[in-house]
Amino acid sequence: MGSAQIEIQLIASLVAVACAIPGTFLVLRKMAMISDAISHSILPGIVIGFFITQDLNSPLLIVLAALTGVITVVLVEYIQKTGLVKEDTAIGLVFPVLFSIGVLMIAKKANDVHLDIDAVLVGELALAPFDRLIISGVDVGPKSLWIIGTILIFTIILLFAFFKELKLSTFDKGLAASLGFSPVIIHYGLMTVSSVTTVGAFDAVGAILVVALMIAPAATAYLLTTDLKKMLWLSISFGVFSAISGYWLAHWLDASIAGSITTMLGLLFLVVYLFAPSKGIIAVLYREKQQRTEVSLLTFLLHLKNHDDVRERHVNHLNEHINWQKVRSKTVLDLALKNNMIRIDNSIVSLTEKGDEFTTKAIDYIITNEDAQIEDMKEDFFLFRG
Amino acid sequence: MRTITLGTAILGAVTGMLGSFAVLRKQSLLGDAISHAALPGIAISFLITGAKDSNTLLLGALVSGLIGTFWIRGIITKTHLKSDTALGLILSLFFGFGMLLLTFIQKQPNANQAGLDKYLFGQAATLVESDVWLMAIVTGICLIVLLLFWKEFKILLFDKDYAKTLGFNTKTIDILITSFIVLAIVLGLQTVGVVLMSAMLLAPAAAARQWTNSLATMVFLAAVFGAFSGVFGTAISASQDNLSTGPVIVLVAAVFVLISFVFSPSRGLLFKQIRFIKNRRDLELHKTLAFMYDIVAETHENISHPHEIKILNNFQGFTKGTLKKLVEKNYVTLQGSTWSLTEEGFESASNLYNQLTENDG
Repeated sequence: MGSAQIEIQLIASLVAVACAIPGTFLVLRKMAMISDAISHSILPGIVIGFFITQDLNSPLLIVLAALTGVITVVLVEYIQKTGLVKEDTAIGLVFPVLFSIGVLMIAKKANDVHLDIDAVLVGELALAPFDRLIISGVDVGPKSLWIIGTILIFTIILLFAFFKELKLSTFDKGLAASLGFSPVIIHYGLMTVSSVTTVGAFDAVGAILVVALMIAPAATAYLLTTDLKKMLWLSISFGVFSAISGYWLAHWLDASIAGSITTMLGLLFLVVYLFAPSKGIIAVLYREKQQRTEVSLLTFLLHLKNHDDVRERHVNHLNEHINWQKVRSKTVLDLALKNNMIRIDNSIVSLTEKGDEFTTKAIDYIITNEDAQIEDMKEDFFLFRG
Repeated sequence: MRTITLGTAILGAVTGMLGSFAVLRKQSLLGDAISHAALPGIAISFLITGAKDSNTLLLGALVSGLIGTFWIRGIITKTHLKSDTALGLILSLFFGFGMLLLTFIQKQPNANQAGLDKYLFGQAATLVESDVWLMAIVTGICLIVLLLFWKEFKILLFDKDYAKTLGFNTKTIDILITSFIVLAIVLGLQTVGVVLMSAMLLAPAAAARQWTNSLATMVFLAAVFGAFSGVFGTAISASQDNLSTGPVIVLVAAVFVLISFVFSPSRGLLFKQIRFIKNRRDLELHKTLAFMYDIVAETHENISHPHEIKILNNFQGFTKGTLKKLVEKNYVTLQGSTWSLTEEGFESASNLYNQLTENDG
C-alpha cells in the first residue's frame, strides 16, 4: 500500500466522519433533503470564488460557497414562509435554479479552465493526494487533507461545546426555546456547519457523495439505535467503514472511488434495512404477522364468549363463520390451546376459565378509550409474541 | 432546431401536467430522487445490451426509477425513517451506484460510451425526431389516462380516506399516478438531465398553483407554462454559444414562478402587500374617526361643534392624509384650523364597534 493510497483512505475517512456528525442531526431534524439542496446550490458560490481567486483551493471559495449554502436555506425558508408553496416544493425550486446559474456561469466563462461540473458532482478522490500543501518549501501533505481536517476539528469542537443544546433543540424545540437556547441560532449554526462541510468535502469526493455520507450512515444508525450518542458513534463507524471498503472496491473495479463508497454505504444500508433487530424490514413484517395472529386470537375468543350454542362452537363452523383460511385458523387454534385458553372436546371448542377471564379483560381493554387506564393492560395482550 | 423546440415544448407540457400532482401530493422532491435513481438503470441497460439506443436506455432508467420510488415508499411505511431521509438516501445511493457503473463502463474496452454523460446534465441537441415521437406518444397516453381517471386522481389527491371508503382501489390509482410521474421524469433525462429534472416537474406546477384553486385549470396552466419554458429556453440557449439548454429552461421556468409569486392576483406577494397596506390605512382611518367621536361625544351636545386640528396631533393614527380621506368620505368638515364631525360621520363612528357599516368594505 503506497503512501498515496493511505492518504486517499485517510481523506475519505475524515470526510466520512466530518459528514456523519452534522448528518445525524439533519436526519433527526427531518432536514435531510436540505443537505442535497446545499450540495447543489453551492455551485455558483464556488464558481464566483473561482473567478475571483483563480484557485480551486482558496479559502475564499469555501467561505463564498458556505455563504451560498446558507443563502439557500434562507431562501427556502423565506419561500416557505410566504405560504405560497410547501416546504419541499420550496427546496425543489431553489436549488435547481442556483445550480443552473452555476452551470451557465461555468459554461460561459470557465470553459477553458479546470472546473468542470462532473468534478463538482462526483469529485476525483484519486487525484487528491497529488495536490500538496507546501508551507515554506516543506511538503506537509495533501491540501484536501488539511482542509477537511480543519473542518472536522471545528465540527468536533462545536459538537462538544453545544451537544446539550443540539440534543435539546433537536428533540424538543419548545423546551429548548423556553430554557433560553435560541433554536434559530442552533438551526443556522447547524446549517452553516453542513454547508462548510459540504464545501470542504466536495473537492475531494463530490457533491453527491457528501449527501450520501451525511444521510446514509445516520439513517443506517437510526435503524439500530434510538440513543443519540450511540447513533453518532454508529454513523461515524459506518461512514469510515464504507470509506475504506469503498476505496478497495474502487481499486478492484478500477472505477470511481466516490461511486464505490456510495455503493458500500448502500449495501450497508440494505443489510441493516433488511436485518436490523427490531426495525429492520424482516423484523417488522414478522411482528406484523404476529400481531395479526394476536388480533385473530382475540376475535376468536370473543366469538366463543358470545356464542353458547354448541353448534356455533363446532370447529368446522368456526372456520366458516369467521371466514379464515385453514392455515390461519389452525395457527390461532394452536396458539389458544397452547396458552390454555380453550378446550376442545369432540370438535366442540369452549373457553377455559383462564380464557374466559382473559376475554373479559380484553373487552374492557377494547371499550376503554383512555390511554392511561389501559397502559398496564397492554402487557397482558402481548403474551404470545414469541 | 424545430425538432428540439418541439421536443422541449412537449416535455415541458407533460412534466408540468404530472408535476401538478406531485406538488399537490407533497411529493415535490420525489422527482429529484427518481431522476437520480434512474442513473444506474441507464448504466445497467447499457452494460447488458451494449447499445446506446436511447429507448432501451430509457427503459432501464424507468425500471430503476420505479425500483427507487417503491423502495422509498417501503422505507417510509415500514420503518420510522422520515420521507426526507428516505428520499435523500435513495437519491444519493442510487446516484453514487450509477456513477460507479458509469466510470466502470468508461474503463471497458468497447468504450463507445461517450454518450452516457449526457444523461447527467442533458443535451437537448441530441434529440432526434424519433425521441420527439416517443415523447408525443407518451404525452398522449398520459392525457388519455388523466382524462379517464380524472375523478379518481382528483379524489385521491384531496381526500384519500374518502376515496377508500367509496371503494376506489387507492393503491392502484396511487401506483398509476406515481408510475406516470416516473415516466415523465425518465423522458426528460435526455433533455435536461438528472440533476435539473426535478425543477421541470415542480416549477410549472408551482407557478400554476398561484393563479387558480381549480385542479383542472392548474394542470392546464402548468402544461402551458412548461411548454413555454421549453420553447423560450431552447430559443435563448440557441441564440448564444455555450448555453446548455437544460439550465436555461430551468431558469425560464423559475422566472415564471417568480412572476407568479409576485403578481398573482389572489395569492401573490404584491397584491398581498397592497391589501395589507390598505387594511392598515382603513384601520388608521377608523381609529382617527373613533378618537374624534370620543372627543365630540364627551364634551358637547352639538355634534358639529368645531374643534382645533391641533388636538388630534397627540393621536397616533392621525395624519393629514387620514383627515383628508375623512373629508372626502364626508364624515368631517374642515373650517380653517378646526374640524367638526358631520351627521354622517357621527353615525358611522358610533356604529364602528357595533357593526361594520357598508362603507367599510
